[in-house]
Amino acid sequence: MQNVLTKISGEAKFELLIFLALASIPLVFSGYILFILPQYMLFGLLAVSLSILWGLTGIISFGQAGFFAIGAYAIGIVVKSTFLMNSAILGILLGIIVSAVIAGVVGYFLFSAKVKATYFVLATLALSIIIEQLAKSQKEITGGWNGLFVDRISISFGDLLEYSLFNDIPMYYFTLLLTTIAYALIKFLTTSNFGKILRGIRENEDRILALGYNTSIYKTLIFCVSGALAGFAGSIYGTHAGFVDPSLARVLFSTEVIVWVAIGGRNSIIGSFLGGILVASLANYLNSITPEYWQLIIGIVFIAVVILFKGGLAGGLEEIYHRLKSKNYVSARNP
Amino acid sequence: MQNENKISKISRRQLIKTAAASAVIMGSPAFIRNLHADDPIKIGVLSPVTGAWTVYGKAHSRGFELAVEEINAAGGVLGRPIEMVLADYQTDRRLVVEQANRLLRQERVDLLAGTFSSADRNAAGPIVKAADKLLLYPTWYEGQIEEYYPGVCNENIFMFGPEPTQQVWPFMEYMCNKFGKKFFMIGSDYAWPQVTNMFTKEKLKELGGETVGEVYIPFNTPQYESVLRQIRQAKPDIIFHSLTGSDTVNFRKQLVAAGMKNDFTLWTVDDEEVVTSGLGHEVSSGTYVSFDYFMTIKHQNNKDFLDRYQKRYGSDALMNTVGVGMYNAAHMGAMAIEKAGKVDTSSIREALKGIKFDKAPQGTVEMRALDHQAVLPSYLMRVREGWSSVNDMFEQVQTVARAVPQDARCNLPL
Amino acid sequence: MELAASVLLDTTLITLTLALAAFGLAIIYGLIGVINMGHGAMLTLGAYFTWAGLQLEIPFVLSVILSGFIVGFIGLLFEHWIIKRFYNSPYETLLLTWAFFLVTTELIKIVFGSDFRTVVNPYPGSIDLGFYKIPTYRTLICVFTAFVILSTGFVFFRTSTGIKIRAMIQNREMASLLGLNISLTYKIIFGFGCFMAGLAGGLVAPMLSVSPYMGDMYLVRSFFVVIVGGIGQILSGTIIGSFVIGGLETIVALFSDQVIAQVAVFFFAIVILRIRPQGIFSEK
Repeated sequence: MQNVLTKISGEAKFELLIFLALASIPLVFSGYILFILPQYMLFGLLAVSLSILWGLTGIISFGQAGFFAIGAYAIGIVVKSTFLMNSAILGILLGIIVSAVIAGVVGYFLFSAKVKATYFVLATLALSIIIEQLAKSQKEITGGWNGLFVDRISISFGDLLEYSLFNDIPMYYFTLLLTTIAYALIKFLTTSNFGKILRGIRENEDRILALGYNTSIYKTLIFCVSGALAGFAGSIYGTHAGFVDPSLARVLFSTEVIVWVAIGGRNSIIGSFLGGILVASLANYLNSITPEYWQLIIGIVFIAVVILFKGGLAGGLEEIYHRLKSKNYVSARNP
Repeated sequence: MQNENKISKISRRQLIKTAAASAVIMGSPAFIRNLHADDPIKIGVLSPVTGAWTVYGKAHSRGFELAVEEINAAGGVLGRPIEMVLADYQTDRRLVVEQANRLLRQERVDLLAGTFSSADRNAAGPIVKAADKLLLYPTWYEGQIEEYYPGVCNENIFMFGPEPTQQVWPFMEYMCNKFGKKFFMIGSDYAWPQVTNMFTKEKLKELGGETVGEVYIPFNTPQYESVLRQIRQAKPDIIFHSLTGSDTVNFRKQLVAAGMKNDFTLWTVDDEEVVTSGLGHEVSSGTYVSFDYFMTIKHQNNKDFLDRYQKRYGSDALMNTVGVGMYNAAHMGAMAIEKAGKVDTSSIREALKGIKFDKAPQGTVEMRALDHQAVLPSYLMRVREGWSSVNDMFEQVQTVARAVPQDARCNLPL
Repeated sequence: MELAASVLLDTTLITLTLALAAFGLAIIYGLIGVINMGHGAMLTLGAYFTWAGLQLEIPFVLSVILSGFIVGFIGLLFEHWIIKRFYNSPYETLLLTWAFFLVTTELIKIVFGSDFRTVVNPYPGSIDLGFYKIPTYRTLICVFTAFVILSTGFVFFRTSTGIKIRAMIQNREMASLLGLNISLTYKIIFGFGCFMAGLAGGLVAPMLSVSPYMGDMYLVRSFFVVIVGGIGQILSGTIIGSFVIGGLETIVALFSDQVIAQVAVFFFAIVILRIRPQGIFSEK
């Protein structure tokens, strides 16, 4: 029991440290990093949306980019077509809701029939292609292949205070705030009873069924949450990037998310989050040095992680941490 | 810091104009960086080096690089060398946003050039608007409509490639008289083919012709049986073709395999040197192609240009309309900076308007002040039977020394 | 009447070409349960090797066969070093074969460059049926596909090895008792699936642009062929799946546009996955 507590608080400390570091970056750095880091935080959330499926529940989705794109289109379309006071908030909400509903419908449709996990992967693949094709073909709504422009939103509180996100620093803190809230909610979810049941499903679905839980409802719910989170990240991304186009939904982007999570650590929420941020940053950095070989390297690293380090970076660090601890423990006992 | 404040305060296009105007009136040097003689002028180049448009990426970035080397060899601009900072956006719009911002905010480039397709350019549009930097765009494209602002109709974007009224209209009469007036249109499913066909149909109607079929194909379609059947039934005189990339090759190979090549005349507005090489001579010979530039243009400028290009990149290096667009963009950009005497955006923008480059490989190119659209030569070529390389691929059929585009449908002047 | 006949002919061509492209996937998926996400990259490899063979002035047919063997050999190595350890974890094989796709695509770009390559149609010309002309080369491919599927069927249903393999799908221990070397059989099946992918890549190369991403076009379609036809229904399933996917796309495209046609096909595939995961026409 003692061990569990110290382990949890150790991880929580680490998480706190990461978010504090993110919060203090604008105090130290300026320029491009303040523009690009919010995007990578959103990619981090996208990675978390996969890790609660894959690591927590044991379901893989090849369609996370599809939900991300839905969120981005939702805010783009709402901001463009309404003149409401809070069209930005409406857009973000719509992004969350539409993604969640689509995930819910598709999830329930498949899980209720006990479709095999690997077939579910193919279904999400098809779903993401459908989203991409619709985004391309529904030109009146989405702008088609030419894309859709999204203005930076401003958030208004009543008539007096309007907070524009046009500057880098406000946008940075706005994104960080929302990311932190979303992260905390997900963290709460995974440590709750709901999270335990999901873990149970991952380990042995039949047992959880036998205990009287309707596992297909639980799987549908977590897929809903995952879709909603991806859609949420996408909607902020839309206003941050200023431009949305069908390639956001493409399968290659979905599989990039899989690579982030695999490298970061599928069983760790913070690992996946950092996986999204770090791999995307590294890709950007290496882009200027070796664009041809970068993708080859990432492919090989990906293979190595899948074969050798199933826990990814987070799993590896945890192991080192435990080893150090047990050494201390041993040396403490044998003075 | 100066730069960031500027980015943040100016959010509306009108504001940019006012600010630019007031800066000109006051003659304020506040915005201009301190000049050192050997401080390079930095130009960021966005190229699809990897990803789906890789095939175009090489000529795209080389065209610009060659021009930069020529400019620097001749002593640079304002006594300063030009430094080209290349960024690969992997044919991904998400990375256009990422890399354009990197070039502007981290590399602090003075202006941008590149992007390949209209969608790529559109992704960069809001960024150059907000940062108030110029983008020089090299590709043949669908023309400007206010609806797609800030991807087009953007006072910070200059177009160095032809649009449909330059690429297609000048040759409509010739093609109709020679082969007939029934057109079947096949294109990829996006804006460029659709708008190009819209213009083509407009002119066709004027000439008393008709469109007997119009289909749009999603990207990456491997099989064309149903389209080929539709073409057979429609019995057109001319297949007007605007598929792009690998779909071009897939369709054309299957058209030939179906034994239909000699039954119809094919006119393409997409297949420059790179794609035609991918087709091989069995498939491509006898088709008509129109563009502002071909490697086989008979023009002294082109001969000199290709000598330099092939000396630099090897005798089998491909060049095409996009590469030449980039080449011209670099030279005309440098001429504008020289003329302006400084490198701030509004000065270069004003200087670029109306600038004329008579050493362009395709002839004389002029940047129209009204809508930032290049006035270019235009060529109709026929693919030679049994060609062996890009050096003998096309034979010149028709030439227009100065193709003037229709006015852009924007709030003019830009 | 002539229209109907020509539509029928076209559909046959589409069906068999798609079946050829999907066959390697269906074998690996159906017999050893590995979802080979690297299938597309193997098609691409086959096309590039065929192109390279032609550059070395090896005749077309020989180039295609060699390509099949080289891709099959690469598949064998991949199985031997990596995949074989993960037969019991379907997710890992799925991710590893996807990684195979990523790495192979990048290697192709580095080795062959990314310009379009051309494989010249070795049998140009067409067969004139009076009312309709069908391309000679396409016809040959279709005849070949039919031959391959039928002969695989023969091995499967008429030889003792085939019977053992079918027993293996049902029950691994049983087959092992019957004297079947399971790990060797898996290896051979995986290699054969890759061989077929390489062969198919070489065979479709003259009809398409040879570029690093050409396999992607067929990858997703091949999956849906396998899903619709029924996983495990290697022979009839592949043909039926190809017919439904290719035919549906053609017919929907007649009434609406091509994009809607593709969306309809993918939507249909999701529905099939749920209501009849064993395939639309198979009994179980």
